[in-house]
Amino acid sequence: MTRNARSDDLHRAVRRFASGDPTRSFAELALEIAAFQREFSAGFARLCASRQSSLERVDDIPGVPCDAFRLARVAVRPESEDRLRFFTSGTTSGARGMHAMRVTDTYRELALQFGRSALLSSERPHHVVALAPLLDDPPTSSLGHMMAMFMVDFEQRGSFDARTRERWLIDDRGVDLTGLERAAERATTHGETLLVLATSFALVGLLDTLGDRALPLPRDTVVMQTGGFKGKTREIEPSELRARVARAFGLDETQIVSEYGMTELTSQLYEASVPGSVLARLRRGQSGVYAEPPWLRVVPVDPTTLEPVPLGEVGIARIVDLGNVDSAVAIQTQDRVRRVEGGILLLGRAAGAPARGCSLAIEEFLAHVPR
Amino acid sequence: MNDSSYEARRARLEPLLESARTLVDASSDRGKHARERLVASSGLSPQGVDFALLRCLESAPSEPEIAALIRSTPTAQTAHVLLSANVFIAAHRAIAIALAASADVRVRASRREPEMAELLSAGAPGTFQLVSELSARAGDRLWAYGSDETMTEVATTLPPGVVLHAHGSGFGAAVIEEAPSQTDLAALIAALAEDIALFDQRGCLSPRVVLVRAHSVSASSVASDLAAELAELELRLPRGRLTPQELGEIAKYRDTAQFIGEVSAAGSGFVSLGLENSWLLPPTGRNIHVLSTPDPIAALTPYSPLLTTCAFAGAPTRRETLTRTFPGARVCDFGYMQRPPFDGPVDRRDI
Repeated sequence: MTRNARSDDLHRAVRRFASGDPTRSFAELALEIAAFQREFSAGFARLCASRQSSLERVDDIPGVPCDAFRLARVAVRPESEDRLRFFTSGTTSGARGMHAMRVTDTYRELALQFGRSALLSSERPHHVVALAPLLDDPPTSSLGHMMAMFMVDFEQRGSFDARTRERWLIDDRGVDLTGLERAAERATTHGETLLVLATSFALVGLLDTLGDRALPLPRDTVVMQTGGFKGKTREIEPSELRARVARAFGLDETQIVSEYGMTELTSQLYEASVPGSVLARLRRGQSGVYAEPPWLRVVPVDPTTLEPVPLGEVGIARIVDLGNVDSAVAIQTQDRVRRVEGGILLLGRAAGAPARGCSLAIEEFLAHVPR
Repeated sequence: MNDSSYEARRARLEPLLESARTLVDASSDRGKHARERLVASSGLSPQGVDFALLRCLESAPSEPEIAALIRSTPTAQTAHVLLSANVFIAAHRAIAIALAASADVRVRASRREPEMAELLSAGAPGTFQLVSELSARAGDRLWAYGSDETMTEVATTLPPGVVLHAHGSGFGAAVIEEAPSQTDLAALIAALAEDIALFDQRGCLSPRVVLVRAHSVSASSVASDLAAELAELELRLPRGRLTPQELGEIAKYRDTAQFIGEVSAAGSGFVSLGLENSWLLPPTGRNIHVLSTPDPIAALTPYSPLLTTCAFAGAPTRRETLTRTFPGARVCDFGYMQRPPFDGPVDRRDI
């Protein structure tokens, strides 16, 4: 079987797994994908060899460090076969990582399936807007692409072009408060639930614009917040941001749900907090606890040995994402996590070796890497 | 009264130079005491501390070097020094520059590694003051050494009228442009291994990257020979203690490097070989990236603001080009990256 035929077969198998087909288990699929990547990705083959990984257990799959996406191509095929290329924001360092995809159906199906379960509080149509800049074409931001997919899918009225100014409520002048009010009116008029998709820094910008004012949104509104601040604005503690956003919009804090995603991943994790959502019914967890979809597993590992830590201990997240069929099925992040009841508790990014004396830190160096 | 004549400035340096000289002798009481204290605070192995003192502490600078240091240093009513950790011998040059500037010198040592400043002070009583906090006033000068983050913090908290000489983060590189004889290449690599091992690579002069000119020199051979040399060197110059964060950075680097190229174990550290012009800055702790590129000078150019020193092996004309291209970097021979002439700050970048 050719490389692409094998890839197509694995994509289909992952989508079937996500839809509940038990023919192949998570571990079987993860190991099949890892073996496929070892065969067609020289970098991953070297990594497996150096770690003496036999790929017999999921824990044997070495995580590809996120830095590799910034410094090399992480893909099993040539560039000519890419259909989508997502780039990391690169705002804290000059080098931007790229995650390219040949098969987009898997990304779409996995993102929509878990997004629906985490974000939709009812079966009613939703009106979806983004506190984000208008999506570029072709999309280069995985987050923006996902937001556009949610806009079309969650409104339940067939296909339409989501790239319209009234849905993307940030421009050079900042947050479009009037646009948000119009979206709220429209949702009320049409009997829809309003879903606001926002980055954390956009929410801070919105709060700054509002000052002491409130901007009440319909009572059943859901706000999805995601991402860090990446030097774009002043930082606010996540719990404080949640409380202030809820207060400004007149919502309960459970209606502010956090998403965890990365350009290097195909899949996303969510807090299981939205009242009425499928995810909240299945796995109600505390604030800050992220639920994994069945096709993704977070393994906290020791930062030095990269071996899994005992259950309940803090480690850095190695993420096995079956959606990453053609890139890296396991990625190694520097995010500190602990497995708790209901999912994964995010504890922030592991500090790199602190700047001691005058030796150059790696982040400082990366800021100078030519794009 | 601050006497700014050359003779007065030269005379102020003498007690400090003598203090440094007496630390180098491992058989003296001061030498033994210094080694004990520096091993405890620096994290380096006893052999690493001894080697650094013998190799890098400027115990016998030449008169022309001292003259250059004095003449390149502006005078001040009071000279303040903020020292960084890691490269303990750097305290000597930093204090010398301050003494060249003023008779009134106040030194705030690194809180983590105050030993070297204290040892120098003990050997030159009354020459400068050790202080726990900086108290610069308008008209004073401050020579500050450390990370860029620290420099920014210092710059934003200094009173108006204080002149700041900031020496922040940086890295060293080595360039091999022409294939020397096998014997010469072995000597270059042996010298480079020592440059890497000194201070366990934690200084801003420490080499972190080797660039070899493609088609002239085999990067693969350089990487494997360097890995072997570093492993051999570690037997007589063991690596010291690393922090868990440093070890975590090394694990991340090793796997990233493995993905983008090749990695060889080099004692406790690693040598990575970049394929397809892949840049990577290894973490400190005796790790180095070897990169093959058609034009090493052009490949280094984007990093000009960060480059403090560059060891060079190749044609004299190319060495001149390198010097012109990186006016802020010290261009030197292999084995001399960590011991630049005592003619002013090691860091010549315009920050």
